[in-house]
Amino acid sequence: MSAADGTTGSGIGASLLRREDARHLDGRGEFVPDIRMPGTREIAFLRSPHAHARIRSIAAPPGSKGRVFTAADLPRIKPIRVVTQAAGAKSPPWPPLATDKVRYVGEAIAVCVAPTRGEAEDLANSIEVDYEVLEAAVDAPLVWRGSRHLIHESWGDNLYLERTIEGGDIEAAARAAEVTVTREYRMNRQSGAPLEGRAVLAYRDHRLDEVVVYASTQTPHTVRVALGEILDIEQRRIRVVAPDVGGGFGPKARLYPEEIILAALALELDHPVRWVEDRTEHLLTCAHTRDHHYKVTAYADRQGKVLGVDCEIIVDAGAYGLWPQGPYQEANMAGRTLPGPYTIPNYRARTYTVATNKTPLGPYRGVGRPGACFAIERTIDEVARAVGRDPVEVRIENMIPAGAMPYTSIAGMRYDTGDYPASVRLCAELLDMPAIRARQKQGEADGRLVGIGFASFTEQTAHGAAEFASRGASIIPGFESCTARILPDGSLVLMVGIQSHGQGLETTLSQIACHELGIDPSHISVRHGDTESTAFGFGTFASRSMVMSGGAVARASRMLRDKLCRIGAHLLQCDPAEARCEGGAVHGPQGSVTIAEIAKVAHLRMDGLPPGVDPLLDMTATYEPQISTGVFSYATHGAIVMVDPETGFIELIDFAVAEDCGTMVNPMIVEGQIRGGVVQGIGTALYEEIPYDAQGQPLAVTFADYLMPGAAELPAIKIGHMHTPASATEYGMKGMGEGGAVAPPAAIANAVRDALAAIGAEINETPLTPARVLAAIKKVQQAAKA
Amino acid sequence: MKPAAFDYARPRSLSEALELLARPNIEARVIAGGQSLVAMMNLRVASPGLLVDIARLPDLGSVTEEDSTVFYGACVTHAMIEDRIGPDPSGGLMPKVAETLAYRAVRNRGTIGGSLALADPAAEWPCVLAALDATAIIEGWNGKKAVACKDFVTGIYETRLAAGEILAAIWVPKLSPTARWGYVKLARKTGEFALSLAVAVRDPARGYARVVLGATDGPPLILDATSRLCARGMPAAAATREAIAADLARAGDRQFDAFRHSLHATAALRALTQATQATA
Amino acid sequence: MTAIRFRLNDIDHAEDVAPRLSLADLLRERHNLTATHLGCEHGVCGACTVLVDGMPARACLMLAAACDDRQIHSLEGLRDDPIIAALRDSFHRRHAVQCGFCTPGMLISARDLIQRGRAGSEAEIRAGLSGNLCRCTGYTNIVSAIAEAAQSVGAQGKTS
Repeated sequence: MSAADGTTGSGIGASLLRREDARHLDGRGEFVPDIRMPGTREIAFLRSPHAHARIRSIAAPPGSKGRVFTAADLPRIKPIRVVTQAAGAKSPPWPPLATDKVRYVGEAIAVCVAPTRGEAEDLANSIEVDYEVLEAAVDAPLVWRGSRHLIHESWGDNLYLERTIEGGDIEAAARAAEVTVTREYRMNRQSGAPLEGRAVLAYRDHRLDEVVVYASTQTPHTVRVALGEILDIEQRRIRVVAPDVGGGFGPKARLYPEEIILAALALELDHPVRWVEDRTEHLLTCAHTRDHHYKVTAYADRQGKVLGVDCEIIVDAGAYGLWPQGPYQEANMAGRTLPGPYTIPNYRARTYTVATNKTPLGPYRGVGRPGACFAIERTIDEVARAVGRDPVEVRIENMIPAGAMPYTSIAGMRYDTGDYPASVRLCAELLDMPAIRARQKQGEADGRLVGIGFASFTEQTAHGAAEFASRGASIIPGFESCTARILPDGSLVLMVGIQSHGQGLETTLSQIACHELGIDPSHISVRHGDTESTAFGFGTFASRSMVMSGGAVARASRMLRDKLCRIGAHLLQCDPAEARCEGGAVHGPQGSVTIAEIAKVAHLRMDGLPPGVDPLLDMTATYEPQISTGVFSYATHGAIVMVDPETGFIELIDFAVAEDCGTMVNPMIVEGQIRGGVVQGIGTALYEEIPYDAQGQPLAVTFADYLMPGAAELPAIKIGHMHTPASATEYGMKGMGEGGAVAPPAAIANAVRDALAAIGAEINETPLTPARVLAAIKKVQQAAKA
Repeated sequence: MKPAAFDYARPRSLSEALELLARPNIEARVIAGGQSLVAMMNLRVASPGLLVDIARLPDLGSVTEEDSTVFYGACVTHAMIEDRIGPDPSGGLMPKVAETLAYRAVRNRGTIGGSLALADPAAEWPCVLAALDATAIIEGWNGKKAVACKDFVTGIYETRLAAGEILAAIWVPKLSPTARWGYVKLARKTGEFALSLAVAVRDPARGYARVVLGATDGPPLILDATSRLCARGMPAAAATREAIAADLARAGDRQFDAFRHSLHATAALRALTQATQATA
Repeated sequence: MTAIRFRLNDIDHAEDVAPRLSLADLLRERHNLTATHLGCEHGVCGACTVLVDGMPARACLMLAAACDDRQIHSLEGLRDDPIIAALRDSFHRRHAVQCGFCTPGMLISARDLIQRGRAGSEAEIRAGLSGNLCRCTGYTNIVSAIAEAAQSVGAQGKTS
């Protein structure tokens, strides 16, 4: 295995090429639908066509007993229930198969088993359900106080949670303001849409007395916890495996009814059962994402220095809470992130997490941060315009200076290290801002308008116990684990509780072990995603794996190193203090012994071990960063757009990221994560939306209607790096996987604002479709006439 | 998503195909490339009882010419047109259109006849063939009949094809060497269906000019007043906008929302401008 | 059931297939050739792209029954193909793979672009990839990997 940059270093900082590539480039990836179990039957679901209805009766076709199951046929399945300690939160029970009521289009009502998927779908289509259709509650800002359309009757309203975050004195800021800017923003509902949908293969293993569940999930261990609770089976009799997973991005980090139902069916029917969701099912029933409404007022002085921000945030969370965290963190995160990288001294965020007759909302790359970033970064630009100054200058002047770190924001986020203003300057440099200003003065031959816009953000990563506890979570993903095992031949296996689904952790975690142990990555295997072979861990999400799992790998590797040195010193007959582990061997003052030789002694020749040292080279360690409030990456994104004022079409002609994630273990992989995230952010900015009509019908359920960016729509993404190591993590690493998706909507909307500055149109809703752009232009033109 | 069950037949000749389509008590549909039909069947939006596969019927797969006309078999693929396999009657318009249609893998199988016969309102060929004054050749039990492409599509997924008939060929008159055209496809992404589509063809040597709008939630819309302006060449911007607005207002039962109306007007203007510019 | 005879990855087969079986499912379920992935089943995402008579086609939109008398190649049958070999190498060195789900379809489309001489510029490659969605990489490295492979194939005069 070589390093991409031509060096032979394989430890921290090396752009080591990925070991995962070989199987994927050879067509030998193993995703859930690729796994073959003899006797497998295929599954299809009957799903509700109505957003809100009572089920009066369900009639399966004659002769279908044993092939069609409703909730009544699978009584062992208990409802999913998110448990939260957040004060005042409501949590609805969610029966995996609907019982008396359906609450969103796509909710599962019956499960059908057949030799092929086509036949299972035929069976589902032949079931007759008698519905009493009810009015759907679709408009979150209208319905949360809602008495007319209660989604969960026992609630009295449609509010999961109401929470206010405040600091300082917002009324005083309002009084002192020389400039007040108020705007409403909307980040519309969309899907995470990984290219591989969800899939589950479940079967009984009689030899091990287990039910085995292969799932395209980011969190196998916690899925096992849930299955154990809901099906009332001891976890030692459940195995969950996430093999290759074709993208996750957050929606696959939640428990789904289908996982429970498939496990229950495997137990009931005693033959393997397989469900591979199709794209319509995915767009209908895999977690929906984003869906925020903002009302923001910024108070500033006449220079544009922000004195205070007052906002209202509504999150449209859909009909049920996704286990384990439910919908509560979305509004919380948006509310606590909205102050951004700024020294805003007075703040209030009133947040409302609302139930509607829509698909449950789940996390997606950035979670609450893209919406909050959109809201604050658009507002900063509008403050600048209100005082007649350059948004770049006003942005920098409001930022927390590097010298003030660590800095606790007015919303209680403790930013650890970084130089936010420098990221703005670097980004402007990457895009050659003076050239764009000159180009704007010249104008374009085809009548289009060019604009440049920026957005900055901080990203809380690798947060641990304290942070999740403060959110009221009842499952606290505050650590990760690693078992590091050297085998009798000296090769190393790292068994970790995270789940790599594109992030290259099979490569990067081996780089950390290489750094600590001197074993080359070509002699290291990384095992992840399987509850059978790894100690408990939480999975991959929240930009946590490199820091948390990497930290655990570092600790376990150091424990191994210590034992290797003790045994090696004994074999070399030297003082352990003089032994060092390097380059695959332990070296003393007068000689060396290879790790392979030490491993042989530790397993096959234990008579060679020093007194007091047990056989085996097997260490398990956990890791939590020293600060559990998170380590903060940050970046500034910049976009250059060309807007066609006659059609509303936006072309993205350049995009740059100036970012800082501390120490990078593998710069090549970091850049890959940034670019991937940015393009998803561009998707949010320009293309992706699942609109709902007044009856609660989702209107984009195939890729014909749900548009995602393709290569032809995009420029190459430029990246500039800054390096401010974290002080509280191994090697100074920070998480960074989500950041790319956070700022593009704001940067692009600010660029469009700049392009249309002469016209004066603003678009404050994502995606910025041509229809919305033209409507915004028309609105200004009509107001001018009046 | 998997389709509902159906029967499949691959006839060896056109007459065998017509015989299969005439079978009573079964909904039979022709399949050529299947790029639209199989997608619809996978979604269970279409569930024919019998598919009659004409994709490889020998008479339907070639591009030939005679005098002033190029003859396309209905099963000529979009890729063949993109790659200029066979003569091009359109001075580069048809290859250009083919290039913007869906994606290469779809173009390798999808056919010009299939596209015209399906008559998706946002499809390119119905609009372009109407603008080129092409003729659709239909085979049925009564023999052959010819229908002008401008009249062939009658509604959304509705054409002049009667039950049991097959669109067999499309005849396209050759443009003169001095003819010019304009083609504007407004779509949010490369390969996507158009939000607006405009084709302008001006061939003064044959006294021909036509401007057609597609993606109008109905059959291709011929803009008569705009076409007359196009014939005269180099029209003034104000006159052009007026003509287009008048044509759109006369568009019968079609209701354009403000956004689509705007797009159609812009697309038509731009296509017309392309066709009337004095460029080589 | 329909009887078909076809050549799959250079081996002849004669089989009976249900009319509604797609080529994708024929490959995956019948022949255990799982490199061809299903991402949408309506022809948009490109993950199922295979070669039918040497040209890229959507296996999800191709009926197995319509494969009578045809030559089919999935990625598994192209392991010795020199253009695919050049692409595997450049995709690896340029970090053009993350989760791997789009990769087989992407390689087959890229091979076609190179073979038809349509990989000469970044813009041309990007346009040529419009039918292959990737959700992980942001495309930058895929485009540069294809450009690099096109150069090396051109330099060696290898096309098949």
